[in-house]
Amino acid sequence: MSTLSSAINASASALSAERTRIEVAVSNMANAESTRGPDGQPYRRRDVVLAPDRTSSFDAALGRAGAVGVNVAAVVEDQAPFRRRYEPSHPDADAEGFVTLPNVEAQNEMVDLIGASRAYQANLTAIGLIRELVAKALELGR
Amino acid sequence: MNSISDSALVAALRRQMTIAVAKQVASAGNLANVDTPDYKAVEVNFESALDARLTPPTATHAAHFSTTTPGAITTKETQGVTPRRDGNTVQLDQELLAMNRAGGDFSAAQTALAAKFRLVRYALNESR
Repeated sequence: MSTLSSAINASASALSAERTRIEVAVSNMANAESTRGPDGQPYRRRDVVLAPDRTSSFDAALGRAGAVGVNVAAVVEDQAPFRRRYEPSHPDADAEGFVTLPNVEAQNEMVDLIGASRAYQANLTAIGLIRELVAKALELGR
Repeated sequence: MNSISDSALVAALRRQMTIAVAKQVASAGNLANVDTPDYKAVEVNFESALDARLTPPTATHAAHFSTTTPGAITTKETQGVTPRRDGNTVQLDQELLAMNRAGGDFSAAQTALAAKFRLVRYALNESR
């Protein structure tokens, strides 16, 4: 049973990692036009780095084959150059009339959002299947 | 060997359930890492699963009843899958298929085991 709970833990860790991806993609989209951050620079697009979580597994400590979870290793800033748009009336326009805009591309964020939500669904399905297994095992006691 | 609590049959069903759980766990781990770069999908090692099925339970003393601890089930990296560009080898459809199949195996073994236990309970209740 401990391995089944490790499987549920792994799926749950994936749910939270995918939720982080969705949150980051949504905040990128929300800030696609934010020209003034706390440091005076436009908003920089953020990216989530996922890594397998091999440390915290109880089964791994016992040398058993348990499910490997996932965790968010880091949220890094995309160092791609900022976009520039000619808009002289904008308060943040430079001397030539260009505004520096965040390096956010809506289509990339949409692809990330779809990928993350599909992965979220897949892990929810996995949790459902594991729960069915547990419920079926408990029926033996009836 | 045809007694109601036929331990060989019960042990076999138990092993089938253990293997189904191991498969389910391996697939759940793979699904969790469906977007992790360089993650290599794992599957239940067929040989270890087969050994667990075939190896007769070992008893340390002739007077002991045989124990039915299955051999340790190990996993190995899935072979023959072309990695995606990020080095990941998880295939969403294959993992969900494996989970469903393992669920079916588990269900089948559970049904048989439940029938077995029902017989024992029937006997205990003096055929009531």
